Amino acid sequence: METPAPAESAPTWRFLIKPRWLGWHALVVVAFCGMLWLGDWQFRRAMAGNGLSWAYTFEWPLFAVFAVVFWAKTIRDEFRIRRGGGADTPAAEETPLPAGLGIRQAEQPGGDAEDEELARYNAYLARLNEEVKGHGKWRGFR
Amino acid sequence: MHAAVLRYRVMAYITGVVLIVLCFVGIPLQIAGHPAVANIVGVVHGILYIIYLAVAYLLARRLRLPTGPTVLVLLAGTIPVLTFVVERWLTRRYINPALAAAPSAQPVSR
Repeated sequence: METPAPAESAPTWRFLIKPRWLGWHALVVVAFCGMLWLGDWQFRRAMAGNGLSWAYTFEWPLFAVFAVVFWAKTIRDEFRIRRGGGADTPAAEETPLPAGLGIRQAEQPGGDAEDEELARYNAYLARLNEEVKGHGKWRGFR
Repeated sequence: MHAAVLRYRVMAYITGVVLIVLCFVGIPLQIAGHPAVANIVGVVHGILYIIYLAVAYLLARRLRLPTGPTVLVLLAGTIPVLTFVVERWLTRRYINPALAAAPSAQPVSR
């Protein structure tokens, strides 16, 4: 009773076996093996006399290591976020919108005329916000 | 945050320009029988891309990008022109909102 039961935090890792994440794991494995294979191919080319291949002989394994490091860091961050701590980055990035800019404000009941006007203005802001939300989304080459 | 964004932008533009030189100058010359440019620029891009990867990943992490966009940003350094498109998209979609939400960038206190 004094110690927090570790069993409670155990399900945290279960996001790792969700289909989405399994897909990413598979991608990392394929990418890692593929990049090692490419490195080996470049090594064989280098040994066959292609001097330029020496650069790629070292580059591909490095990329393979990058893939694993990024994958590990991403999983670690995800654990932190799910445990409520957040990643070890400044907390400033928590909110996508500045505080006070949100839809909720439009829902607040306005008592007197001034409040009503404020509510209308906030509703307008919320509507703008909704309209702008799609902006910057990837829509392919335009 | 600002420093991370700046590092990413600098590397995105340098890598993007070198990649365009490689693909639209180096490769045609190589096909025409002059492989020297493609060889040199190819190795230069390879080295720059390693730095780009590190810098872009650090920014993606700070922005808390979902995995999909992160992979897109990382791969953008290998596809000509896409580097610039992705940089613009990332700025509008993620960097600007994050900077606006950062306390240092808030012009007016509540």
